[in-house]
Amino acid sequence: MSLLRLENVTKRFGGLLAVNNVSLELASGELIAIVGPNGAGKTTLFNVISGVFFPEEGKVIFEDRDITRLPAYRRAPLGLGRTFQIPRPFGSATVRENVAIGAMFGTLGSRINVDESLEMADRYIDLVGLQPHREKLAGNLTPVEKKMVEIARALAMKPKLLLMDEAMAGMNPKDIDYMVDLLIRIKEKEKIAIVAMVEHIMRAVAGLAKRVVVMHQGATFVDGPTADVLSDPRVIEVYLGGPSEKSKKDLVTNQTS
Amino acid sequence: MGMTGYVDFGYVTFIALGAYGMSLGITYFYQVEGLGIWIVFIGFLLALLLASLSALLEAFIALRLRGAYFAIACIGINEGLRHFIEGAKLWGGSEGLIFSGSLIQAVGRETANQLTTFWADLAVFIIAALAAFLNIHYMRSKIGYALTAVKEDEDAAKVMGVNTTKYKTIAFLTSGLLGASVGAVAWGLKLGYVFPGDVFVIHYTVECIVVVLLGGAGTLLGPVVGGLIYGLSKYWLAIIWPGFQLLIFAPIIIIIIVLFPEGVVGMLKNRVRGTALERYLL
Repeated sequence: MSLLRLENVTKRFGGLLAVNNVSLELASGELIAIVGPNGAGKTTLFNVISGVFFPEEGKVIFEDRDITRLPAYRRAPLGLGRTFQIPRPFGSATVRENVAIGAMFGTLGSRINVDESLEMADRYIDLVGLQPHREKLAGNLTPVEKKMVEIARALAMKPKLLLMDEAMAGMNPKDIDYMVDLLIRIKEKEKIAIVAMVEHIMRAVAGLAKRVVVMHQGATFVDGPTADVLSDPRVIEVYLGGPSEKSKKDLVTNQTS
Repeated sequence: MGMTGYVDFGYVTFIALGAYGMSLGITYFYQVEGLGIWIVFIGFLLALLLASLSALLEAFIALRLRGAYFAIACIGINEGLRHFIEGAKLWGGSEGLIFSGSLIQAVGRETANQLTTFWADLAVFIIAALAAFLNIHYMRSKIGYALTAVKEDEDAAKVMGVNTTKYKTIAFLTSGLLGASVGAVAWGLKLGYVFPGDVFVIHYTVECIVVVLLGGAGTLLGPVVGGLIYGLSKYWLAIIWPGFQLLIFAPIIIIIIVLFPEGVVGMLKNRVRGTALERYLL
């Protein structure tokens, strides 16, 4: 049984076709990367999956249940967690309170009280390495730390699927390595599926996921094993505007290193 | 207001409807035999009912409008209701309802005196205590966390599984019912009359908001501290510079808001964060 299935999903904003007839299937516990240049429709696709927008056409199926028109707040308790492109922690609350909010309204919902949520928050704060900032206000953290708060908050929801919008944008190479390592650890430890969206850090993609989906102009363009996708001349063309021997060679060396 | 981040410029509507509920209860039921003192409770129930309806209406608007648009819509409801009551000659129109006589007829002069003095004042204290209790309870329960999430980022809150509609409605109903309770006893029962021009006054809402901002929004002690600063300085200035008090008062408020954007209590709270004192300053 697939965890998430998109069937011919289309989302328009006026005349702009943001997501065009996308079909995608994801198994439980699978980690995939979605890549694509700016404006390829990745974030819109995420918003359709998490319920921020409803699609004009097509279906979103989560664990055999049609959730196409289910409001966002009812998807979270089913096991859908996400982070945002620009981290959006609740700034006036402490890191611990932020993460606890995830636990309170996630899949555990009414089965968990405030104190248990705060305890659970501590566990995920440790996992993402934010212990020293536990009692700080989330609004006062650095962007990378805020991203970690969001990941901990989404994990505290105990989701079955974690959608990571722009997992590594604006990070330095050291942080990227940490993030790749963290995501793989999360997948192993929490046994959840992760869809990580990466704009153009191919080095990270190669180390992160076994399967990559490339989006271009709203459509899924290539979907397959990472090594094949990254050396696909069509993908290189989308990113670099034309095939070139050097770029091909770079990508191949990057993914094997 | 402090918890959701929605600034309700129409808060006085709840107080006014509370006053009207009480007045209507007494005006229309005083002749019913055997009710006696129960007409006060009927009035109170009517106050709560009217406030619930208006709180639901505001919650409904808050689902669609945010920030300044919401504030303006609430002022609109307030002014609209006032002119509707005056224009449609509803509930006595602009002549209001004067019910002190009816109250005396229903419960007798002695009891009526006690009701409008001792019991009305006591009720205000009980309502204030109830408000403080609810505030503490909300802050420590899931409701408080949900409202924090709504205040900070509604879209993120929804994605986290927070039913923002439900929690906003809870917040508006709580604030509406408390406002109506105060209106029913302190403005309705205590005065013995109600005029639309006296109760639907935006000025009172503005005063409430200034008090909350001075003290610190979203804190328990904030409004109390803000109220003391506001009330004392306003009357003190009125005594030493009669006629000029507002001229001096306005810059003082501006200075305080600029110096302590989170309010006096909010500023103290940030200072003591992480120290042993934190527990005593909610």
